[in-house]
Amino acid sequence: MSARTMFVLVVLLTVSGSVQAQFLHPKIKSKETTIRRVIVLPAKVNVVRDSMKGPEGMAAESDELSTRVEAMVAEVLSKQKQVATLPATAPSADGDPQQKYNVADFQTKFDDLLPKIMKKRSDVKKGRFSMGDEVLNLNLDKGADAVVFIRGEGKKLTSGKTAFRMLVGGQPAYLRLMIGIVDARNGEVLLYTDPIFPGDPTTAVDRLRKALEKGFKKLPEVKG
Amino acid sequence: MSQVGWFTTARRTSKLQIYIYICGATLYRLRQLRAMFPRKRTNLIVAALSLCIVFTSLGPVALAQKKTAPVEATPPPVREEFKFGDVDLEVLEQADLLDVRFERDGLVLADESTNAYLRRIGQSLIPRGLELEKVNWKFRALRDPQPNAFALPNGSIYVTTGLMTLIDNESQLAAILAHELTHVMRRHTYVHNRSNRKKFLTMNVMAAVGAYAPGGVVGAVITIATTVAPFIMIATIYGYSRDLEREADLKGIDMMISAEYSPEEMVNVMKLLDKDIEGENIRLFYNDHPSLDERIKYLSSYLGARADRVTHQMELNRERAAYFRNVEPVMRHDLQLAINAGRARSAVYLAQRLVDFHDDSENLFWLAESYRTLGPRAPQLTEKQLTNSAKKDASKKREKRTVEEEERELLATPEGKDNWQRHQQKAEELYRRALNAENPVPVAHRGLGMLYEKLERGSDAAAEYEKYLELSPSASDRQRIQRRIEALKEKLK
Repeated sequence: MSARTMFVLVVLLTVSGSVQAQFLHPKIKSKETTIRRVIVLPAKVNVVRDSMKGPEGMAAESDELSTRVEAMVAEVLSKQKQVATLPATAPSADGDPQQKYNVADFQTKFDDLLPKIMKKRSDVKKGRFSMGDEVLNLNLDKGADAVVFIRGEGKKLTSGKTAFRMLVGGQPAYLRLMIGIVDARNGEVLLYTDPIFPGDPTTAVDRLRKALEKGFKKLPEVKG
Repeated sequence: MSQVGWFTTARRTSKLQIYIYICGATLYRLRQLRAMFPRKRTNLIVAALSLCIVFTSLGPVALAQKKTAPVEATPPPVREEFKFGDVDLEVLEQADLLDVRFERDGLVLADESTNAYLRRIGQSLIPRGLELEKVNWKFRALRDPQPNAFALPNGSIYVTTGLMTLIDNESQLAAILAHELTHVMRRHTYVHNRSNRKKFLTMNVMAAVGAYAPGGVVGAVITIATTVAPFIMIATIYGYSRDLEREADLKGIDMMISAEYSPEEMVNVMKLLDKDIEGENIRLFYNDHPSLDERIKYLSSYLGARADRVTHQMELNRERAAYFRNVEPVMRHDLQLAINAGRARSAVYLAQRLVDFHDDSENLFWLAESYRTLGPRAPQLTEKQLTNSAKKDASKKREKRTVEEEERELLATPEGKDNWQRHQQKAEELYRRALNAENPVPVAHRGLGMLYEKLERGSDAAAEYEKYLELSPSASDRQRIQRRIEALKEKLK
């Protein structure tokens, strides 16, 4: 994370409880495309524990948080926007390895595109970003309109680090999500939102829900 | 992006940085003292602090002398006296979790014959009868087009498909495994971790990932490693300290000789890795890791008379054809990954090697795919493009531009147009050769379809796609191709 991003992050976190930005593809804005049914791919949310001895991994907590975020995104989309979530055909370890690779490689493709989106998020509104029609190789449910990718990064502070931060300054505990909704037919990025909130990412469930609700605020509701 | 792992350069708080920090802090303090005390007294303090600076300067000098010290025989392969503490058990637990994550996220190549091949070579290098506490040897190929290898302290050794595709023979693979095995046998991860915990660790791992992560599958590996075990990521994947890496190199040579692998292949593999096809090896001024040049030098000096004894088995293990036969499926898999990750230059180089070895339909198809992906790019980077500053600029551009935008920009130049035309012609010729070869692969029709679609030859493209689906009715990308045919037909109406 660059110093500039860090500065903006700290300012944003201190000014407001949670912040978010949403960018919609013109097709969504003009209602040329409507998202009715989505498939949520496994979320990848990584949190680290920042202590005085440096950062420590939180693998189990990250896994748990990923599952929680994934479920909550589906819940918010369903309750707030009436968008149905279809089951992603989860590739099992003993299943077809090619299908497992396809999902892994497509997730990687999103990871590749994400820094470019984050560099100029407003370009989503110009329809600049696409993952290509390779999305069809995932062989997902034909009824799906879009695929949801969820990434996140967060930091939990130990008590020692919290005290140190109060004295010297530094980044607070936070969770930042990066969510992209991609057209299931042509791979165009239809929506990008990155809700962020301060606080312990592993316990702040209500804050997470609120941040997600705000994060999808601009997404048109499905009617009828 | 700096390459990471087996042959890499690491970005860490180095002794040089600490030294610069001490000097800076001292000078700052001097200015404060000058304001606080009368001139005479200040002069005494200045003299005392200057002495401190002189003494701290001796550290780097001593280090430099240590670097050029003659190479001595390495210690025994195993750190027998090693006693596990709570801190070590934590690291071990993280290593086990990493294994699970790599597997779960589809990064491990699920090809039993490849993993068995790696296992056979790895086991032949391990001294007979060696039993190590809390080590369970596992040798696996990682689906990653970037050449790299790393070992986890629990005995899991990973070699990327990119590295397996780049090297020339089994001895070179043995050199890589021997190096990694030494890290495990000498308990380098634990040693490094213990030493790091004694220092005040200021490094922000997330920032480090941001600086290094190149995207693509390798990005996924690093992301997982950061979450599960930030320390293991720094030590294992980015590289250990200079001394530990050197020990792994030298001990690796001894292990190779014992297992009848020609030791000079360790040097040859370093030379291979020095090739910067994609222009991504960026050297940072405070690297604290032996550079490839330095490693080649000390390895050559250590080899000396050891390289004189050449057995028949050593000669066999150097055979290129035998190695290629064993890893051909891995190489093809890697080409797909390289193409997906936009490493078109590497793809062309590696696919050409594969075709030179065996010009069957499938290998010709991969070379054609590589040329099609290369598009308007030049097949090789110029000397100017390989300078450090040019590589940094290119890396920044890669972060901003999408592949399509890069291609559009290049196509606006006469060189780009020329390259594009030549590469498309080359690709077409290779697809045709693939289709005329014995047992033609139907995917070559798909490749031709994509090529014609880009050349705006709609009806030809649709015809090729249809042939592909006719020959491979159960293709996993059937839905995608079907949609393309429909779109083309719609356009032609």
